[in-house]
Amino acid sequence: MSDQTHGMGRNDLAPGEEEQHSVGARILGYVVGLVLALMLTATSFFIAGTDLVWQPSIPVALIVLAIAQMGVHLVFFLHITTGPDNTNNVLALAFGLLVVFLVIGGTIWIMANLNANMPPMGHILRMQ
Amino acid sequence: MPAVRTVEATMLGKLDWSAIPLDQPIPLIAGAVVLVAILGVLTWVVVKGHLSYLWNEWITSVDHKRIGVMYVLLASVMLLRGGSDAIMMRIQQAVAYQSQGYLPPEHYNQIFSAHGTIMIFFVAMPFVIGLMNLIVPLQLGVRDVAFPTLNSVGFWLTASGALLVNISLVVGEFARTGWLAFPPLSELSYSPGVGVDYYAWSLQISGIGTLVAGINLVTTVLKLRTKGMNYLRMPMFCWTTLASNLLIVAAFPILTATLAMLLLDRYLGFHFFTNEAGGNVMMFMNLIWAWGHPEVYILVLPAFGIFSEVVSTFSGKALFGYRSMVLATMAICVISFMVWLHHFFTMGAGPNVNAIFGIASMIIAVPTGVKIYNWLFTMYGGRIRFATPMLWAVGFMVTFIIGGLTGVLLAVPPADFILHNSMFLVAHFHNVIIGGVLFGAFAGFEYWFPKAFGFRLNERWGRAAFWFTFLGFFITFMPLYIVGMLGMTRRMQHYDVAAWRPWMIVAAVGVAVLTIGVICQIVQLVVSIRNREALRDRTGDPWDGRSLEWATSSPPPVFNFAFNPDVRGEDAYWHMKARAKQQSPERDGPEYQDIEMPRNSPTGFVCAFFATIMGFALIWHIWWMVIVGGLGAWATFVVFAWRDHDEYVIPAEEVAVIDRVNLEQRRGLISMAEVG
Repeated sequence: MSDQTHGMGRNDLAPGEEEQHSVGARILGYVVGLVLALMLTATSFFIAGTDLVWQPSIPVALIVLAIAQMGVHLVFFLHITTGPDNTNNVLALAFGLLVVFLVIGGTIWIMANLNANMPPMGHILRMQ
Repeated sequence: MPAVRTVEATMLGKLDWSAIPLDQPIPLIAGAVVLVAILGVLTWVVVKGHLSYLWNEWITSVDHKRIGVMYVLLASVMLLRGGSDAIMMRIQQAVAYQSQGYLPPEHYNQIFSAHGTIMIFFVAMPFVIGLMNLIVPLQLGVRDVAFPTLNSVGFWLTASGALLVNISLVVGEFARTGWLAFPPLSELSYSPGVGVDYYAWSLQISGIGTLVAGINLVTTVLKLRTKGMNYLRMPMFCWTTLASNLLIVAAFPILTATLAMLLLDRYLGFHFFTNEAGGNVMMFMNLIWAWGHPEVYILVLPAFGIFSEVVSTFSGKALFGYRSMVLATMAICVISFMVWLHHFFTMGAGPNVNAIFGIASMIIAVPTGVKIYNWLFTMYGGRIRFATPMLWAVGFMVTFIIGGLTGVLLAVPPADFILHNSMFLVAHFHNVIIGGVLFGAFAGFEYWFPKAFGFRLNERWGRAAFWFTFLGFFITFMPLYIVGMLGMTRRMQHYDVAAWRPWMIVAAVGVAVLTIGVICQIVQLVVSIRNREALRDRTGDPWDGRSLEWATSSPPPVFNFAFNPDVRGEDAYWHMKARAKQQSPERDGPEYQDIEMPRNSPTGFVCAFFATIMGFALIWHIWWMVIVGGLGAWATFVVFAWRDHDEYVIPAEEVAVIDRVNLEQRRGLISMAEVG
């Protein structure tokens, strides 16, 4: 099958199809990624248990850290870049994010609406 | 005695002789007939010595064309099963006026559940996936799909799910809950039998197969295209394949997760969807339709692609508005994830939610309308040949517009409050699924059959099949719109309203006409196979085609193309033919090279064998067998992962021998065209 992918030119890499970097540069990339990921994980555990910061901000901080963690994984381990060789991967990621956003966002909106409009029987009785 | 019971319960779980419905003649006789037929075919295969051919050339094949053909075969067989269910339901409703009819409620409920499940998951899905498998690599000008062995796994897992659904006919029972098994009815307290388990496990297994097929086809379209095949030079069918499989990858995990939660409720006492203990029934509707609405576009988009190919070929013109067609396809792909609430407008969401989703549902009709106009303008001014595939395409346009308009009507929430779950809805979705997906599947079947097997199908019987199916469809489903307006709800085992009766009888007559259409289709196949020498197509291009699948012989050699085609524009093969007519014949002795192809592998079949065992064991709570099946499937993959060589080489001389025959025929075709 390899002869067919050559026809596509080098403009289109799949995850795991490395560009021709030296081994040293690649190892450095993984080490930086690992350190960042560990730091973000450690920070999350620290934030969750600390009383150094304003308490209501903790969930938001955890969400931000989680998203940063995903970003680190995508960039350092899955090698998603903004370069032209990565258009497919970025588009696939964007489509995935869009679908997740639509389904989760839509579900929360719909279910909240249902809960507001159709409270449990006991609640209705209490309102009367 | 208790010790014996325990041993039996350990060995056989819930399974005992009461699982066989000895008191119900219909499923027993049907099961016996099918069993005799299967045994007969197997005996014939063994006695004639075809077993090794079957094993080496088909069952273990990783050739995308063979797998595509097997998908279509599975779909056709399941179409007969689902069709029999449909006939039984129509007869029941025709006779069950102020009486119980001939089907008891518990049996009737299983039939309508099985009908829906089979038609969507085991007819429509395998049919379109089979056609995509067969044709897309050829249209892209490549030698195989991205993951050939995975492809085989995907097919066999789908077949495994279909097998489990059919086993439920004679061992145990099928779900009585409708084709989406809504809780709380599908929860253990209301459905204590194995029916829902059969439903859920067969969909889990075949769902993995579908997901695998989706990943494979997305990767194929994105990563494997021949030289010069830019995105905007791909045939329309490749675009719709891309869109449809993106939807599979995005939507099928939702189905798997939802059914997994239902199974946790049933097996481990969880409370995701129960009435009590904080479960939320409506969450199931929400999630299942978040998969279910993209699902209908997964089915219909490939059909749109088939019609695009057929209309353009048989009008002798390039597709009108190619770029707008691409845009419409991708727009449908995205908007299909924004409309799922329209399946449960009546569930109690507020006016703002209903309005937004209603408007989104109407908006999705716009790109579909763009497509219809594009097909019409493609035909306009063309030299149209009404061969059988074109008949299906034109029949589709007429039928689908009616279905689309009733769909826009149902997208209006106030109207939906009146028509929800009525026969009007039943008529609507059959209108779009039969008129869209099934007509598309038949068009693709007639159109690409010569490519797959090297001979055409008999036109006379093909036309007859079209007209009977087309008329039968209208006679069956137009009355259902009317009884829906008259207030008849769906899934009624019997009824007492006199005004509905005549329409139900008309619908039963319609289903008889549809059945004649199906018989014509079978006769067409038999007649064509018997006359195959007369219908032989040696050129590989029987329809004067425009895309690359027609550039190779029929049936294509295992490597599809001796050389990777060089694409210089849209309608690649059409331009190649035009160039060939102007220039002197191509270079005489092309330099052939060795070709590497993937080796056959029994991985898919063995894996699905264990998956079937595991599914059956899970349904009947036979825990030791679950472990055996699970370990077996896992071990199969380990063995496959440790394989040493997975490719074999076709030497250049052999390629030359195979390809020269093709080149000869093609030159003959082109010089004939010059004389003509």
